[in-house]
Amino acid sequence: MKARGSILSKFSFLIPSFILIIIFVIYPIVATIILSFNINPVPGIDITKGKPIGAENYYEVLSSFKFINRHGLETLSFPMGAIIHNIIWIALHLPLTIILGLLLATLFQHVKGGSIIRSFIFLGMVIPMIVGGLLIQFSFDKDLGVVNLFLKITGLEWAARSWTIYPNTALFSLILGSVWLWTGFTVTIYSAGLASIPKETIEAAIVDGADFKTILFKIIVPQLKPVTITVIAMTILWDLKIFDIVYASTLGGPGGASMVLALLMYDYFARVQNYPMAATVATILTIVILPVVVIWVRMITRGK
Amino acid sequence: MAAGIIIDDVTKIFPPNVVALKNVSLKIKPGEFFVVLGPSGSGKTTLLRIIAGLEVPTKGRVIIGNDVVVDADEGIYVEPRDRNIGMVFQNWALYPHMTAYDNIAFPLRIKKLPKDEIDKRVREVAEALEISDLLDRKPAHMSGGQQQRVAVARALVKQPNVLLLDEPFSNLDARIRITAREFVRELQKNLGITTILVTHDQADAFAVGDRIMILKSGIAQQIGPPEELYGKPANVFIASFIGDPPMNLFKLKIDHPLIDTLNVKGYITKHDNIVYVGIRPDEAIASTSLENAHFVGKVILVEYVGSRRYAKVNILSEISMRVLAEENIRDGDEVRIYVKKLHLFNSNGKRIHTINP
Amino acid sequence: MGAKRKLLKGYRGGLLGSPLKWLIANIIAWTIGVLWILPFIGIFMTSIRPFSEVVSGWWSVSPFTPTLKNYVDALFNPMFSLLRGFMNSFIIAVPSTIIPVMLAALAAYAFARFSFPIKNYLFVTMLFLMAAPQQMTIIPIFFMLNNMRLLNTYLGLILIHSSWGIPWITFFLRNYFSMLPKELEEIARVDGATNRQIFFKIVLPISLPGIISASVLQFAWVWNDFFFALMLIFDPNKMVITQMLPRLKGQYQIDWGLLSSGSVLAMIVPLIVYIIFNKYYMGGFRGWAMKK
Repeated sequence: MKARGSILSKFSFLIPSFILIIIFVIYPIVATIILSFNINPVPGIDITKGKPIGAENYYEVLSSFKFINRHGLETLSFPMGAIIHNIIWIALHLPLTIILGLLLATLFQHVKGGSIIRSFIFLGMVIPMIVGGLLIQFSFDKDLGVVNLFLKITGLEWAARSWTIYPNTALFSLILGSVWLWTGFTVTIYSAGLASIPKETIEAAIVDGADFKTILFKIIVPQLKPVTITVIAMTILWDLKIFDIVYASTLGGPGGASMVLALLMYDYFARVQNYPMAATVATILTIVILPVVVIWVRMITRGK
Repeated sequence: MAAGIIIDDVTKIFPPNVVALKNVSLKIKPGEFFVVLGPSGSGKTTLLRIIAGLEVPTKGRVIIGNDVVVDADEGIYVEPRDRNIGMVFQNWALYPHMTAYDNIAFPLRIKKLPKDEIDKRVREVAEALEISDLLDRKPAHMSGGQQQRVAVARALVKQPNVLLLDEPFSNLDARIRITAREFVRELQKNLGITTILVTHDQADAFAVGDRIMILKSGIAQQIGPPEELYGKPANVFIASFIGDPPMNLFKLKIDHPLIDTLNVKGYITKHDNIVYVGIRPDEAIASTSLENAHFVGKVILVEYVGSRRYAKVNILSEISMRVLAEENIRDGDEVRIYVKKLHLFNSNGKRIHTINP
Repeated sequence: MGAKRKLLKGYRGGLLGSPLKWLIANIIAWTIGVLWILPFIGIFMTSIRPFSEVVSGWWSVSPFTPTLKNYVDALFNPMFSLLRGFMNSFIIAVPSTIIPVMLAALAAYAFARFSFPIKNYLFVTMLFLMAAPQQMTIIPIFFMLNNMRLLNTYLGLILIHSSWGIPWITFFLRNYFSMLPKELEEIARVDGATNRQIFFKIVLPISLPGIISASVLQFAWVWNDFFFALMLIFDPNKMVITQMLPRLKGQYQIDWGLLSSGSVLAMIVPLIVYIIFNKYYMGGFRGWAMKK
């Protein structure tokens, strides 16, 4: 339907929103990129600290041990550097939440009160992530944590400790905790996806003689492909931008063993107060997520 | 290879208290093309699903061939995959991400048959259904009629004892329906496979069925060959459900003048003070000149249904009926009506007799 | 014929096959469900008992003395009063919901129904903005607000949250509007209504579910936010509840009694919103994440 009316009338619907967006979102993004090259973007105050214009901030960040710690990589010990930590985060968190999401969604579909259990799992997505981080630290606490309780019960007492305060386990405990928080997302999306699969295709497979495993992998999963792409994109974006959880529990420690990119940016901004460097880390983070965003945007616009 | 089916006193109640089927019993002969006909909500799809094993009856049992596949009282249940049945769903239920070939091959791959055996069977059945050139296509690139044939192929490829069809023609448009019906009927005769078809469309039922069972609200109304259902309907529901245009049905007190005119007084028992008189439009004719007419009337409307010409006629001022009309009849004409055949039902709607007055 | 099986009463057939499997599936599912919420149970238990009792595990059965002391300590904490934080979160979240929903609804309607030059470019821009990290905007915002003397003020934070919310709400509502049947709007146009009249008198009233979904999600998002508040508010009297929480952590030792009650207080509002508006919350969530 072509809505008639002057261009001005149409744009009047858009203008208030775009004014706010331009001032408080678009301009700051552009300004951050500029700042990373040591060009002062904000009138009235020089936050470049008099550094020469150029890309030297990028060299500094990329070669910083906080970003990639070669020593840690070589010895396979933490800290390994913020971007490595994010990559490890994705490598563990993504497959776990997707598989759990799919399996649990299928399970809950056939169980009495499945939607109630689903909302239990979803609670992690409802709460502030800062509380999520505290809950993770709480659960991995030596004395108060349910994780250690189960380790002790199942005879794995040697593993029981406050995971978040040791360099070699801090990141892993956060990642596992983030799986506990994020699975609510994947389960919900897959539940909706499963509901959209026509029931008869599954019944036809039953009549054809397929067992549960065959139906799951040969009939259900292929029909969930578009949903899976969305889930993967959203999860990777979340893993790369993770901040609150780490701040609440370890603040990137101990000794940077759980540092992540977003927190690194905060570190440069608030503690070191090196604004150009902070801007550089932020830009690098954005560059890293860009490919995923592009794929996601393409998928949405193609469906229009 | 074809197996008979026995439905033995099957009742199905969905919680909390929805009665889908009530004491349904029937025997289907091997090789028979049996149709379950009924309006929506009659329980016909539920019955089909119980035979397939996708639902379980609350009471009663089902026997396919010589095997009890489900017995609600003894607690016996055989999985759908072990019943050797082929099923075609109402919307085909083809796997959208697979080609026609893979769809048809799927049940054979489950059985882990050797590759060349699978290929042979798939191509055989594709040829029988005339879809050999569609094998590489995915369902989204096929018409409704083609998808249906792929679905039938998938059901037949494992050489089942029984074929179940759930409203297979309702998703096809009118032109294709006729050819599809003929196709399915011929196929069934050639293969000789016991087939149960479920539909709400009486034209479908009559076109293909050897015998038809009419279901209403989960209760079997009548079972018999099409001619019997048409010519000797067991109650008023069946009488008005079957036949196009629908039967003229009059609910009359026994002292109504029409009763005498039609000479049916003798059939009425003392218990009934109301009877139903049914006259099919095709079994009465209106003419301007008739010797032994039963009554006269005035034409309100002349209409065509298919190739036939009907007149809606007012008789006895408060009753109107639709009858065949001769060529020269026009709106407003005074006509004389002759009734070839009528059906008489008692006050409970049950059939008393069919009379040629 | 294949294997026979004993029927369980009430079994209805289906994907799972045998009734035994159905039973096992139920047991597994509910066990998972209960285990999953253990941390929540734990933090709640810890919050209502004196810390000395739970020092070796909140699951300890005796002694059990329920107390509200932890909550009192948190709410009336001298430096970081969570009561103040609670109110500040509301002061921030409510306007930060109303403003962007109103503005974005207008923009979304334009994207859904109007055609105008560069429309697709603007929309794609919105999509990219939705994905941007907060870290990418905060430095210039910080100094901008400072220039405008809006740093450390409610208004400043509200402006930022409102602007941040507009892209995703526009995306969400645009999808919602485009699924409404066009006939009502077309009739109104035939009757002579202007775009504005059609939007406010016809489209908005029938879009209430979508508006509520967007509002509920935006409210929850703003309440749950930590980063913007952390960066833009320093006065403890103005801090929101989420940013106060980490400050309750002691330097050397964590008082889990205090922290647990603080956590409960911080999450109680989003949880209540989730429960009361569950239909809109989940509908909005699914619609946002699954739109293709």
